Amino acid sequence: MTSSSQALSPDASHRLAVEVHHLVKRYGDLEVLRDVSLEVPEGSVTSIIGASGSGKSTLLRCLNLLERPDQGDLAIADETIRFDRNPQGDIVGLDRRQLQRLRAKVSMVFQQFNLWPHLTVLGNVTEAPMRVQGLSKRRAIERAEHYLERVGMADKRDGYPAFLSGGQQQRVAIARALAMEPRLLLFDEPTSALDPERVSEVLGVIRDLAAEGRTMVMVTHEMAFAREVSDQVVFLDRGFVGEAGSPRQVFEESRDPRCRRFVAPAA
Amino acid sequence: MDFSWLQDPFYQEYLIEGFVNTLWLLAVSAVAGMTLAVAVAMARLKGPRPLAMLAKGFTIVMRGTPLLVQLFFFYYGVGRLLEGIPGVQDSAIWPLLRDPFFYGALTFTLSVGAYSGEVLRGALASVPPGEREAGRAFGMSPFQVFARLWLPRAVQRCLPTLTGEMILLLKSVPLVSTIALMDLLQAANIIRDETFLVYEPLMLIAGIYLAMTVVLTLVLRQVERHFPGMQPTRRRRLPLRRAESAPCKH
Repeated sequence: MTSSSQALSPDASHRLAVEVHHLVKRYGDLEVLRDVSLEVPEGSVTSIIGASGSGKSTLLRCLNLLERPDQGDLAIADETIRFDRNPQGDIVGLDRRQLQRLRAKVSMVFQQFNLWPHLTVLGNVTEAPMRVQGLSKRRAIERAEHYLERVGMADKRDGYPAFLSGGQQQRVAIARALAMEPRLLLFDEPTSALDPERVSEVLGVIRDLAAEGRTMVMVTHEMAFAREVSDQVVFLDRGFVGEAGSPRQVFEESRDPRCRRFVAPAA
Repeated sequence: MDFSWLQDPFYQEYLIEGFVNTLWLLAVSAVAGMTLAVAVAMARLKGPRPLAMLAKGFTIVMRGTPLLVQLFFFYYGVGRLLEGIPGVQDSAIWPLLRDPFFYGALTFTLSVGAYSGEVLRGALASVPPGEREAGRAFGMSPFQVFARLWLPRAVQRCLPTLTGEMILLLKSVPLVSTIALMDLLQAANIIRDETFLVYEPLMLIAGIYLAMTVVLTLVLRQVERHFPGMQPTRRRRLPLRRAESAPCKH
């Protein structure tokens, strides 16, 4: 991605927003991520694709540590994550302060939106900047209005989430994520819970963000969209990276037979 | 009907004292009881196993025994026990431990803690976990997630039940007339004993209770109505203009 952005420094293209080395995540006996390494340059868009159960969402949720990995190393937004490890090298704990600092720099958009129903649209967007980043109410509202405008939801600022359509809720959720002015934006299947006719309004917002040069990692089933907006596509397969590279490499030139079969309908 | 005793300044004083005591008992037990209820509910949901078991045991005992028995237990049982401990009578808190108001408030607080704690536990458990997860994902501390997101949502969900508990609490207050605390019923009893009028004083305090209940109901309804995010229910009841958007999926 070569387009400029006000949020990024000039040398952004040389820096990495995410470094993942040999990540392993287990749920009991089930190994969801077996050995995943991944690099996301600042200002780039990475899409993670793969079949259900391939570990896509788990990988994404490891990036803001909603899931705690069992092995491996992580560096997010210039911070190496300090894990507590047992003598075997297994991760057994986290530094809570670092965790909260990190999460303030990494925003997530959820499949089910996860808006806070007892807060207005504006309240949803000002909550974290005020509580976590310590913004004054006035500045938080200014910011919230700015980003609600961006996603086309400014007129609903005093409404409650329950009165919005899925697409509108997801756009508010995107504004909520942007209001943290994060270094990294994570999207966890942002359109999977939407009615088909509402998908495009959300994809349109994400497309604009990608064009702005924001650093984004997205788990998605929208193959055509992933191909269009991504700088990098990662095909996850049974807990391993089956294929990774430019959209062209993954969608057209993959040598991995499972990857070829998976992307065939979109190729 | 003979209400001439109402002119007697002594009886007026009893009734006013009884009324004030009733309000105080209600307020203290409601505030302290709700605080306890939150603690009990959280202990059961998130506490370490021994604490969770303790909270569960507490709930079972308090909900499984009559309030009047509990009141006697604390006032005559625990109260007399404390009295016998050397030094207690000279301590600074003795005026409190000697006061039946303390035992009334203690009993009601524990009772509200058990009943409302159970209500809150269910409500807390029913809040979709994704809402808390979103808070965590934005870097909110566990306490912020609890105080700003989880608890308000739980209270929102069980508010009508909790306000019902408060109205029941109000009408439990006359039980304290049995432990020599001047409440409305105690005042009525004194008036009956001295004037040999049975119905009139009872009718008066029944009327006062009815008025208090009506006022409390109206106040609590306003609380319900103005609780953040309660608009959805209100709009559903009133045929206002429908939201133009598609229905949400929840």
